[in-house]
Amino acid sequence: MTGWIRFFISAVFIVTGLVSFAAGVIGNCRFGYVMNRVHAGGIGDTQGLFFIVMGLAVGEGSVMDILKLILLVVFLWNTSPVSSHFLSQVEYYTNPNLYDHMKRK
Amino acid sequence: MNEKFRKWLDGDIDVMENITETALEHDASREELKQLRKRLRENIWNLPGTGRIIGAERRTAQIIYRVISVVSCILLIGTLLYIVGHLPLYGVENPRATEVTKRYIEDGLKETGAVNIVAGMILDYRAFDTLGESHVLFTALVCVMILLRKDGKNMKSAYEDYFTVAQDTYFMTNKDTIIQKIGFFLVPCIFIYGIYILLNGQVSPGGGFSGGAILGAGMIIFTSAYGFDKVDKYFTLKLSGYVTFAALSFYSFAKGYVFFMGANGLENHIPKGTPGAILSGGMILPLDIAVGLVVACTMYGFYSLFRRGSIGGN
Repeated sequence: MTGWIRFFISAVFIVTGLVSFAAGVIGNCRFGYVMNRVHAGGIGDTQGLFFIVMGLAVGEGSVMDILKLILLVVFLWNTSPVSSHFLSQVEYYTNPNLYDHMKRK
Repeated sequence: MNEKFRKWLDGDIDVMENITETALEHDASREELKQLRKRLRENIWNLPGTGRIIGAERRTAQIIYRVISVVSCILLIGTLLYIVGHLPLYGVENPRATEVTKRYIEDGLKETGAVNIVAGMILDYRAFDTLGESHVLFTALVCVMILLRKDGKNMKSAYEDYFTVAQDTYFMTNKDTIIQKIGFFLVPCIFIYGIYILLNGQVSPGGGFSGGAILGAGMIIFTSAYGFDKVDKYFTLKLSGYVTFAALSFYSFAKGYVFFMGANGLENHIPKGTPGAILSGGMILPLDIAVGLVVACTMYGFYSLFRRGSIGGN
């Protein structure tokens, strides 16, 4: 019984993470401007990764593996938003026509 | 002649000096020169009959170029297809291709003392190959240094240096709080991980090249977080040269000795150790460290030279 409950919870987590990744992928393909694409990609990098790793941690029994998965989340949450931030920063500093992209159409 | 050569060897005279001076003179009147060239080209094209001659030459050159490219393509395709026809069929026992592999897999642990067969292969059986790779890295670093190093002698003006500093200040990469906090947390982890991979080359996947690449990446992150000044205090051009030279010469002498003593490094006097322990595999661990140091120095040197044109601020 507990096995089934655990499987259900982890499946819900993983499906949520996959939905986040799908949103990121669709956004990356649909949007044309780099800021929007960074925004869309960041969703998958943080939220999707968190939910998928949580799902795996719930489905996995041993404590060591769960600790390793949590470490994975810690490292990727520290690095991936920073890289997105610097990508946007370079765009902000180097694009002279930045404000043209902010107009409402 | 002899004195001149010694002066050149010591770096007292610069061979490029005259050339740069001429370039400087031309630099002032570059716009004028451009205009002149443009007018000259127009005049040539306006002469009667020139267009026809140049066009014919150009057409001949194009035809020759196309013929050569097509012929070399056909030659390459033919050679490759010919070789493919002589390859053994999939699944057929082929002694040329399987003997060596079998030897590595079956006797690799016994002969090299390394649990990681790949490390045993690249640093024991084929150590000369790895030696050449490390020297290629060092040569690449030297070539980049020749081309990109700015040491006051080869700079046309102070503007270039000013431009680099201005760029750094504009992007504010060494004043950014976000990357400083993240670097404070990440850099020790990266260094520990790199050293772990470097020291465990013979018992687990990893080794000199990957460990050195991680160490170099850690140094690059540290530099982009805290600026070049902090790294310049301990990592100067002199230290980089000493480390690279010591690692490469140690590798050459150690491997030369092993090859001299017993053809494929089997009958040397260095104990193999217990397989699976860190101190095992004979010469593999020191060689791994040497390769890792060269790779780390090369990676940081590339970054530093491309970013501001010097290693260690001189």
